Amino acid sequence: MMALCRNAFARDLRPYTLLGIVIVIVGVIDHGTGFFFRGATLFSIMQIFATYGLVSLAVGLSLLVREFDISVAGMVSLAGAVAVLAGARDPWLGVGLALLVGLVGGAAQGLIITRLGLGSVGVTLGGLLSFQGLTYVLTGNQSISFDHVELALALNAPIGVVLSVRSMIVIAAFVLAAVVMQFSRVGRDILATGGDRRASTMAGVNTGGIVFGVFAASGLLCALSGVVLSYGLAAASPAALSDVLAPAAAGAIIGGVSVVGGRGRPAGIAAGVLVLCVLRSGLNAAGASADMLDIATGLVLLLIAVLDAPELARRLTEWRLHRRGA
Amino acid sequence: MLLSARGIGKHYGPVEVLRDVSLSVRAGEIRALCGENGAGKSTLVKIITGNQPADSGEITIDGVVATIRSPADAQKLGIALVSQELSLAPNLSVLDNIWLGNETVPLWHRRRALAERARAALDEVGLEGLRLDRQVGTLGIGRQQLVEVARMLTRDARILILDEPTATLSDVEIAHVFEALRRLRARGHAIIYITHRLGEVFEVCDSVSVLRNGALVGDAATGAIDRAGLISAMLGRELGELYPPPRAAPADGRPALSVRALAVPDMVHGIDFSARAGSLTCLAGQIGSGVTEALRALCGLNEAATGEFTIGGRRVPLRSVGRARAAGVRFISENRAGEGIFLRLTIAENLLCGQLRRFSRGGLLRRRAMRTIAGELAAAVAVRPARLDVVAADLSGGNQQKLAFGRIIDGAMPGVLLMNEPTRGVDVGARAEIYRLVRRFCDEGWCVVMASSDLEEVMGLADEVITLYRGRVVRQVGRAAVTMHGLLADITQQQAA
Amino acid sequence: MTGALLRVTRAASPALLLRGGGGGALLIWALLTPGFLSRLSLLSMLSAISFVGCVTVGMGFITISGNIMSLALGATVSAASVVFMASLGAGLVPAVLIALLFGAAITAAQGVVVGYFRANAILVSIAALTLILGIAAHLTGGERIYPGGDGFAFFKGRIWMLPFETWLFAGCALAGQAILSFTRIGRDIIMTGSNREAARTVGVDVPIAVIAAYAIAGATSALAGILLAARYGSGDMDIGGGYEYRAIAAVLVGGIAIRGGAGSVLRGCAGVVVITVIEMVLRLRGYGEEWQYLITGLVLLGVVMAQSEGTRR
Repeated sequence: MMALCRNAFARDLRPYTLLGIVIVIVGVIDHGTGFFFRGATLFSIMQIFATYGLVSLAVGLSLLVREFDISVAGMVSLAGAVAVLAGARDPWLGVGLALLVGLVGGAAQGLIITRLGLGSVGVTLGGLLSFQGLTYVLTGNQSISFDHVELALALNAPIGVVLSVRSMIVIAAFVLAAVVMQFSRVGRDILATGGDRRASTMAGVNTGGIVFGVFAASGLLCALSGVVLSYGLAAASPAALSDVLAPAAAGAIIGGVSVVGGRGRPAGIAAGVLVLCVLRSGLNAAGASADMLDIATGLVLLLIAVLDAPELARRLTEWRLHRRGA
Repeated sequence: MLLSARGIGKHYGPVEVLRDVSLSVRAGEIRALCGENGAGKSTLVKIITGNQPADSGEITIDGVVATIRSPADAQKLGIALVSQELSLAPNLSVLDNIWLGNETVPLWHRRRALAERARAALDEVGLEGLRLDRQVGTLGIGRQQLVEVARMLTRDARILILDEPTATLSDVEIAHVFEALRRLRARGHAIIYITHRLGEVFEVCDSVSVLRNGALVGDAATGAIDRAGLISAMLGRELGELYPPPRAAPADGRPALSVRALAVPDMVHGIDFSARAGSLTCLAGQIGSGVTEALRALCGLNEAATGEFTIGGRRVPLRSVGRARAAGVRFISENRAGEGIFLRLTIAENLLCGQLRRFSRGGLLRRRAMRTIAGELAAAVAVRPARLDVVAADLSGGNQQKLAFGRIIDGAMPGVLLMNEPTRGVDVGARAEIYRLVRRFCDEGWCVVMASSDLEEVMGLADEVITLYRGRVVRQVGRAAVTMHGLLADITQQQAA
Repeated sequence: MTGALLRVTRAASPALLLRGGGGGALLIWALLTPGFLSRLSLLSMLSAISFVGCVTVGMGFITISGNIMSLALGATVSAASVVFMASLGAGLVPAVLIALLFGAAITAAQGVVVGYFRANAILVSIAALTLILGIAAHLTGGERIYPGGDGFAFFKGRIWMLPFETWLFAGCALAGQAILSFTRIGRDIIMTGSNREAARTVGVDVPIAVIAAYAIAGATSALAGILLAARYGSGDMDIGGGYEYRAIAAVLVGGIAIRGGAGSVLRGCAGVVVITVIEMVLRLRGYGEEWQYLITGLVLLGVVMAQSEGTRR
């Protein structure tokens, strides 16, 4: 029994365990009205998932190689703006251009980080502000609307009760990431790079290329997220900076990605994001305010930051011996 | 000859580190490569593995001249190095690690397709029972090394270079490695085996090459040389000039420091020793003997240390750097860039960093006094006071180490000075200067304890030697009774020939 | 004195020339901008410099301590403005003290986790940001908080021509610089940022140094919150939005090394001045707020890239 519990909370299974717990709790709060299990609720959960999933995946990828891409929020809004502006005539042109911007922006950051040997936080901070600034300039600091409302409707129309084109795109991206991580050399090299970069380089892995590629992929994922979001809302706006980064990081971290690198899977990240989505929709249903979700997210992030901290064990030994007075 | 290097020469700037060195190894031969620290072993290996170019000489493989410009070239020629720093990703499985960095693996593949060859390679190195999905970080160092050897086999390596593979292993693990080596030899691999443990040379190697000061001084079959011959080939010259003359131990040599039942989980298993004021005590032992850990524990740097530590009869709490310092303990680390020196701070800042308390009144610092004292300290350790505002990163290794000594001088009563391998990575000239500094500390009444794996240094410098093996004290002997053979026998626990 | 001189000449590297040249060019560009020297724009620049400057002083401490930045400082500014307004009923001095202590405490709490356990500083600050926003929204219901008392009117006044907040900011900057240069805890913070392990081996209490850096950051951010609240006559959770980014930009533009262990508070303040002057010039020349964001971002990116010179060694 104990072993079962321990296994359930081991890093690889943790996101799924948490997801199960959250679903049960929300089900209980529900007082058996069955609200939670209605199609509409599941649909809304998947819609929220579609909003945050890709950004979480992007942040998670960067954490896997022991870096931290904090520019994600900026790229989401930049790509959204580009897509809406360039897609006014031809939506596909908007998609293509936005994805290109994401790829180039991410790759540029990756290049700076690997070539100049700089810390990713500093570089992506610059990226965040630059992308965000570019968005403000492009949109003229106001929300711009997208004329293809029919596209927005199509993106959000329920498919098979729970899904929509929007959420299916996000799920497809997760599946693709999972396949790459599981079945390709690149996936294994990403994990190795995050686990021990020096050792991986010595073993013959092109770690610089891996880090570069991860940032490019992160940019692309954020751009895709921005496109899907802005087309789905039929609008783009220079959104506030921080409201995306926190839930995105939380999703990845709850999903079992370690901030010290080399651990985590796309499927886990998906589960981690779903935990937050279920919580949000459950709290809504229970009539609790959105603040409670923030507080819960913050606490979980803090808890995991401490659990993952490299000197936690050292301090615990110290305190234990101190208490014993040895 | 499978591999043959002839007339290899190499300079680092004006320093000649290799001079006309030749080394060859046949298929089905294990050749030991011996030499002191700094004899040129690692440079030679770097040249053979393509990590550094040679200035002169040539390398042939199967009699054909080979150009090895990069590690990739070496890999293609079937040369593989298992260095002390393993190149395994601890978070990945055995299977993934074996194929990590191998360019012949297709971009898209199913792991199962690779499992068979990995299995065969693991069997070859004697890891028949190891599951392929086991996470490498959960294996002991010995089996990790064998996984790395297996990786090299899957890359068709014919020439394996192992750099001190047994330094951190237990007996059982060592036996495993030896068994694997014999098996590889039987299959026609050529192996270059670098080691400090002379017993191993005779146990597992067929031939031995000895380097000293960058030159080849011995090349023999192990049957044609004995242990004493090997040791004298390695040392070659008299100890002496480098080391300051020892002072007759002070008559009143009161025990300044005593340690009882010092333990660090898994590393140090309850050691007892004492050391006198005004004398230099060496803790001698190999990597993994617990020497370093014991020393760090006394400095308060190990959070799991237990035991009793007294200075002049007063108990010093373990596990707190601050309280150890308050009791007069000072520490000099071997890892200068990592924890010894603030590379980006100035010389003055480095000299004063441990003694700001002296200059603070209610938390405020007296800058003028600091300046004066920094100048005095610099002069005391022979660093030019005019350079006080130079950043430490611009100094040579020897001068950086002098800063570490300078910061010890803080007007406190002579206390206990603990040093871990104080001359690692320091050139010979600066070494002599550092040895003189150490001796001066002793003369001023400090109780100096030094951990070292460099036996020549131990013999030349120590007033008293404590040998450790596997976390336990073997013996504590006075200077007069120290012999190289005795030390070697103690720290390797193998019978001297 | 000669030491200081040596330091300057040693630093006369391409980076410094670039910085000096850039500063000179900026100054000329600013002076050529019509209206730059008008009373109105000078005063408004001084106010802006003061608000961001207080946060920058604190952010500088976090950067120098080796923890890059806290994303929660902007939220701390806002929360402190709310706390200040809510506790004005107890009198002005107690309200100021309560707000300062509040800011120091919630930021020091991040320092505890980062200092003792070496947790990822960015992640911890994101957690703190989320918690502060969530709890504040829960308690205030998202409402603006109006003063529970008065007596802060003189905050809006001027002393010797300069706005009140400028004096406080100047005091804050000088105090910060004094802590860094003239106190032991200041040196401990620098050493910790320069090389955490080396600091530990020479007996620096690393966790305490990190906590101190964070506590100072919290207090100076709270000061910015108080000043902003006094200026606008109310406190709310949007008042400090984006201040964390402007502050870290100023820190880096001023030349404080992002890897920690080097730099000074006054450099951060110089960074604030540069950024504010750029913003003002852009505004006077008719570029909207959106251009200011972009320029700040690009300047920051350029400055971070310029710092690679030091790390490549």
